[in-house]
Amino acid sequence: MSEMLAKTESVMKKGISLGADEVIAKTTLGRYRQTRFSNNEIDISVAWNDYVTDVMLIWKKRVAATQIRNFQNIDATMEHLFKLAKVSKENPQYGGVAKGNFKYAKSTADKALRDLEDPSQYVELAINTAIEEAGPETNTGGILFTKFEEVFLSSSAGPTVQDTRSAIELSIRAFSAIDASGHGVECSSTLKNFDPSKAGEKAGKIAKLAKNPKQGEAGKYDVIFDPLFWGSLLGSYAWMSSAFNVMIQMSIFANKIGQKVASDIVTLKDKPAAYSIANRTFDDEGHPVGETTIIDGGILKTYLHNTSTAKLFKTKTTGNAGLVAPRAWNIEMDAGDVCRDDMLNDLKRGLYLTNTWYTRFQNYATGDFSTLPRDGIFLIENGEIQQSFKDLRVSDNALKILGNIAQVSKERQHIHWWEDANPPSLCPYVHVKDVQMTKPT
Amino acid sequence: MNNKLLDKDLVDYTLEYAKNKKIEFAEARAQSQNREGIVLKNDILEAYSTVVDSGLCVRILTENGLGFASTNKWTREEAKDIVNTAFKMANSAKRKTKIKFVEKKAVKTKWKVQQKKKIEDISPEAKIDKLMEIDKTLTTQGINIPARMLSCSIALTQKYFVNSEGAVISSFIPSIGMYNFITVVENGKPEQAYKQYGYSGGWEAHDKWKVAEDLVREAKALQKLIKEGKAVSPGNMDLVCGPEVVGIAAHESCGHPMEADRILGREMSQAGKSFIYKDGSFWIGTKIGSDIVTIIDDPTIKNSYGYYEYDDEGIKARPRYLYKKGVINEFLHNRETAAKIGTKSNGASRAINYDREAIVRMANTFVQPRDMSEDEIFEDVKYGIYMKSFTEWNIDDRRFNQRYVGREAYLIEKGELTIPIARPIIETTTKTFWTAVDAITKTVVFDSGTCGKGDPMQGMPVYLGGPMIRLRGVFVK
Repeated sequence: MSEMLAKTESVMKKGISLGADEVIAKTTLGRYRQTRFSNNEIDISVAWNDYVTDVMLIWKKRVAATQIRNFQNIDATMEHLFKLAKVSKENPQYGGVAKGNFKYAKSTADKALRDLEDPSQYVELAINTAIEEAGPETNTGGILFTKFEEVFLSSSAGPTVQDTRSAIELSIRAFSAIDASGHGVECSSTLKNFDPSKAGEKAGKIAKLAKNPKQGEAGKYDVIFDPLFWGSLLGSYAWMSSAFNVMIQMSIFANKIGQKVASDIVTLKDKPAAYSIANRTFDDEGHPVGETTIIDGGILKTYLHNTSTAKLFKTKTTGNAGLVAPRAWNIEMDAGDVCRDDMLNDLKRGLYLTNTWYTRFQNYATGDFSTLPRDGIFLIENGEIQQSFKDLRVSDNALKILGNIAQVSKERQHIHWWEDANPPSLCPYVHVKDVQMTKPT
Repeated sequence: MNNKLLDKDLVDYTLEYAKNKKIEFAEARAQSQNREGIVLKNDILEAYSTVVDSGLCVRILTENGLGFASTNKWTREEAKDIVNTAFKMANSAKRKTKIKFVEKKAVKTKWKVQQKKKIEDISPEAKIDKLMEIDKTLTTQGINIPARMLSCSIALTQKYFVNSEGAVISSFIPSIGMYNFITVVENGKPEQAYKQYGYSGGWEAHDKWKVAEDLVREAKALQKLIKEGKAVSPGNMDLVCGPEVVGIAAHESCGHPMEADRILGREMSQAGKSFIYKDGSFWIGTKIGSDIVTIIDDPTIKNSYGYYEYDDEGIKARPRYLYKKGVINEFLHNRETAAKIGTKSNGASRAINYDREAIVRMANTFVQPRDMSEDEIFEDVKYGIYMKSFTEWNIDDRRFNQRYVGREAYLIEKGELTIPIARPIIETTTKTFWTAVDAITKTVVFDSGTCGKGDPMQGMPVYLGGPMIRLRGVFVK
């Protein structure tokens, strides 16, 4: 057992010795680096070294949680936590944590990301590629982020396990003019599979095409969503798949298990695989993670569960335990059978939307929402870009959009961007019929 | 809640160690926080969480660029390590355009927010009971509210800031917040509402807030909306906005576009730029609204959620008149943006924790009140909509194309409120919105919010508010 796992276990054991029924302690040693750039120059380079132990302690179905960041007096912290649990209220819906000795996939984190000291060359490569695509006047900005985490978990219910997790991601937005921009992202769990020029190239290409935008007209359009845009919508669907959000009716999926919620060609999974930037081998209860099919051929199969919510819904945990509530790790939409180019070429009249932000719901239960496309918004006629648009808004319904999916591309891209395309996802291009677009008046 | 977790000597040591390097500027900032969170899902206490967090960061400016590093390990070795890392990262930037911080006189001071009822003296049981009591009041009104989430967050924040120019600033802010979300179902139809509360100070916040009363009123309004709400016939009409709508509009379409870092492009790939930019259609002195529109961002409002006396670069806080009499007047600045634009910082640099870079942020943004009464603002509206509160809202990344969807709204006919209107929408531009304002009432009401900006995200406590305003002849659908 490693020294840090032993330390983590001692935190767990302290809780048990105080009289707790169950304790989970999870220590994360994180090494995070970020380079932020704008106007084609690096603004700031940031480093975080983080050492934190998350603890969940249960006494007679009373749940108390803490984060230990000061390790000088762990005993006192645990005693305080135990007292808190004792004066807390019983949670009758608490159904325990993952019990047993599990087998885990091997951690495959990339140590090259731990050792990467100066990532500025990758930023320069992305900037230069975008400028090559969109022209010498192009203005770019974005971030490069690297993560290397060592995670140690000890649960009184059995799991004692450790993992390493790595990620590198670059986000670049290129402006070919003040009102013409494109955005690209590149995400990988390993340095060798990371190619920042792809993001720069995409941002530059879209920025070039987006020049001279005109006000778009409101109405219903067939829309091809770029993976970057679709990643944002998948983030909303993923969030609504958590059993916790279903229980508080912040979900379009409430009471719809076994029902058709999407078109037949839609299969949606949660899969924090080794290639994903959300790679992990276990959840926050120490239960192995795996592949969970949320929607299969348009039918809602399951919510994302921890042990407690699974018990309430009379099913098994899906390995999605966060410290308190279940959450998605990495959402994947199955690839379709049409090439991206054919999808665009076959579009008689519609829009190609490349990115979005600020998705907000009127009502999470019904799914009425709007979101603001940004970067390239293109009118497509007979497979050709006819015009760059601006100032249009998708104002529609989340269930209707799932139901109107007509085509899914063979090509998929790993997507993660800021708060809007989160959690990470593996996204295809998606063609949706009859999407309602509105404009300001 | 223990709050003695900040080793000032080590912070001073960190700065001194940084000063020995070939730097142009350095600052060390430490922050300790005791945080508590209580989540009540329906009437069940989901979890009681408590966090004791403390750490320090250093920001270093060299001739090549800017570097930042943080740690939560309070040792000299770690302090040296973050300085070495930040120094190395600053130099790796190799900027062609030099970063400068605007000149300012270093300040040595201490400030704190007083508590009338110290949070430290309130037992966990009393905190839980408060939420239970609110939930019980809500569920005994005969309204079907199948989903309720009430959450309370508490933070005792101690900060210590020093820089290479001689600034030494200590502060202590206790704060408390609540976030509530409810779903009302009537005739099988759901409607939802959320509301956030925030306060800098002690547990007396609960004496000032009327959370249970507000939630009951909200639930009744949603019930009535489901039963009686009608759609509006789209067209041009007068629109009276309640303080909640005015606050979000002031925040989104005035506060954000007036952040100088956005204007200069530093947030271009995340929160975006601004419709205001040098040599564009809008700049300081450009008309953006009617003559009666003045929008202020003021960190110095006592007990406000966005309260502070000195920002996280050690600059004294003051009110900022962003739009003044309908004209773009003053951007929000930190020391870097002020130097770039050729002005002084107005103290808008904020960070949520020691492990985040301080960036340009709002504090408490609101429309300045005038002299009209609430009755008078409806009096000469022949036909229009009163949008008291909002549900869905968003705005583009230039902060020009925005949309607010009414949550509680009513038809105004001949100066009287008549029937509830279901989800009326105004989707318009910043200039159209503020130019249409022809009347403003005299009482400001604040709402609390958590403003999102930064990468990684820094959710910042703010107030958003205003009096009621009337927009003439805008398109509502």
